[in-house]
Amino acid sequence: MQVTMRIRRFNPEKDKKPYWGEYTLDNVEPNDRVLELLHRVKWEQDGTLSFRRSCAHGVCGSDGMRINGVNRLACKVLVNALGEGDHVKIQVEPMLGLQVLKDLIVDMEPFFEHYRSVMPYFVNNDPVPADGRERLQSAAARARFDDTTKCILCACCTTSCPSFWADGKYVGPAAIVQAHRFIFDDRDQAADERLKIMREPDGVWRCRTIFNCTSACPRDIEVTRAIGEVKMAIRRGGRGAIQETEGTEEAGGEG
Amino acid sequence: MATLVTTVTETLRYRGKIGQWSWMFHRISGLATLLFLGLHIIDTSWAAFYPELYEEAIAIYQSPLYTIGEFFLVAGVIYHAYNGLRVFLLDYKPAWWKYQRRAATIVWAASIVTLIPTFIFMANHALEFYNEADEVAGLQQIIDVQAEFALGFVVIIAAALVLSALYGLITRSRSRFVLPGRAEGMMWSFTRLSGVLILPLVFGHLAMIHVIQGVFDITGGGLQIVGTSAVNVSGEAAEFVGARWDQLLIGVAIWRVYDAFLLILATVHGFNGLRYVVNDYFHRPVVNRALNWAIVFGTVALCALGIAALLAGVDETAYEIAQEMTAH
Repeated sequence: MQVTMRIRRFNPEKDKKPYWGEYTLDNVEPNDRVLELLHRVKWEQDGTLSFRRSCAHGVCGSDGMRINGVNRLACKVLVNALGEGDHVKIQVEPMLGLQVLKDLIVDMEPFFEHYRSVMPYFVNNDPVPADGRERLQSAAARARFDDTTKCILCACCTTSCPSFWADGKYVGPAAIVQAHRFIFDDRDQAADERLKIMREPDGVWRCRTIFNCTSACPRDIEVTRAIGEVKMAIRRGGRGAIQETEGTEEAGGEG
Repeated sequence: MATLVTTVTETLRYRGKIGQWSWMFHRISGLATLLFLGLHIIDTSWAAFYPELYEEAIAIYQSPLYTIGEFFLVAGVIYHAYNGLRVFLLDYKPAWWKYQRRAATIVWAASIVTLIPTFIFMANHALEFYNEADEVAGLQQIIDVQAEFALGFVVIIAAALVLSALYGLITRSRSRFVLPGRAEGMMWSFTRLSGVLILPLVFGHLAMIHVIQGVFDITGGGLQIVGTSAVNVSGEAAEFVGARWDQLLIGVAIWRVYDAFLLILATVHGFNGLRYVVNDYFHRPVVNRALNWAIVFGTVALCALGIAALLAGVDETAYEIAQEMTAH
């Protein structure tokens, strides 16, 4: 099949404004990935096309971009998911809400700044167990935050969020997912501190329950639900309430 | 402000699912309803304080432009109510997120199902009135009156901007308006809980004033006044309001209590929603602070005005003044 790629181009050294570049590719297989098509454009037609990718297998989270209007990982979207027949049109743009550095590459620094602001690391100052081995946790307690361990920091959710488009100061869905991962970990001791960060004016209250983040997540994380659970933990008053915040029932299956 | 443009264009371009559209219509319907609520509280307080102005306001409500607006208003309120209920449930039961798309579809369907009979009743009232009406308020009159409201809003915002700029110069503060301590979270809960409380109140209000009797029956001489045992003898809008507020149920002025709850809950809910919109799109400290101050002022002023009118009530002197005005 033939594919027309419409790609948002911008070179800060040459262009005043971004523009659309059009590239036609022949002999595309329906099960080619969009990333392969971007490679073909770069290798066969225009070597200046710039985009990030690293593992190319949906694990590293480098190639988040807006494909046919929705945030996706280029390495996880097949052409046949975007259209059928002899000719398919595919439109690729950089993610929204972060500054475009070149073509499809955006400045991820504000995103990672929000990520770091939620203390995304394990905090436990108790002495290690006497046998010197790991801190044990029940399967049910582990399952409580299993969903939010899956995040690969690709920024697809945060840059799909109208609240983040409106104001880049909003900490954003991805950072809240990371906070959730530690807040609901019963071995961690900094939940209250994280909840304090979350209830700041630029924290969870800027979420309007729109669900763009949930449908954008390439890892199928239940993002809006995680944000909702953090909101409930704050409203019900900190750590004690966390275990009561429901959510364990069906998550237990995998444990 | 630049992000407002981005959000508008990109909300149209980003292919979000139904939740994104629900959010957009929730905002638009909320802002439109708040605009009317502000006018409506001021208008209705005139029944107590300036009966002659109130007659004029109701005459304007009974004009084609406002009738069209009334259909949009009722549609907006009903959509906002149902979608608000959806957001309330999803926020308090995050595990129910799986049903959000179905819920959004149900909200649209329920809105339409509710609106069909509502619109039929409203259209009947409107046709009945316009077929018989000798004269309706002209466009020029409507524009003149609304221009005064618009001027009022502009003055308040301009004053807030000046004060905010002065405040910035004196304190050298370069921060936006921020609610103290845990107030942001409390407002989040208030908005959701008040929404649920407003829902039956506003549906009752819509049923009484838009469906059962209709805006046109407010000035219906000899008609029984909805929710009361009284008859509108003078046929003046002021008497309609006065009789409702004086109706007693087991010694309680039932409609004054009802209106007081609706007034406070809807005003705080509405202005808090406006605050969310302002904080999303207006980031410059001077502007952000000014708009937030204007919002706080608006909330307090409208609640105070409404409560003052409810306490003062509308008496027979007012009916007479209104009657004189209508006679002219």
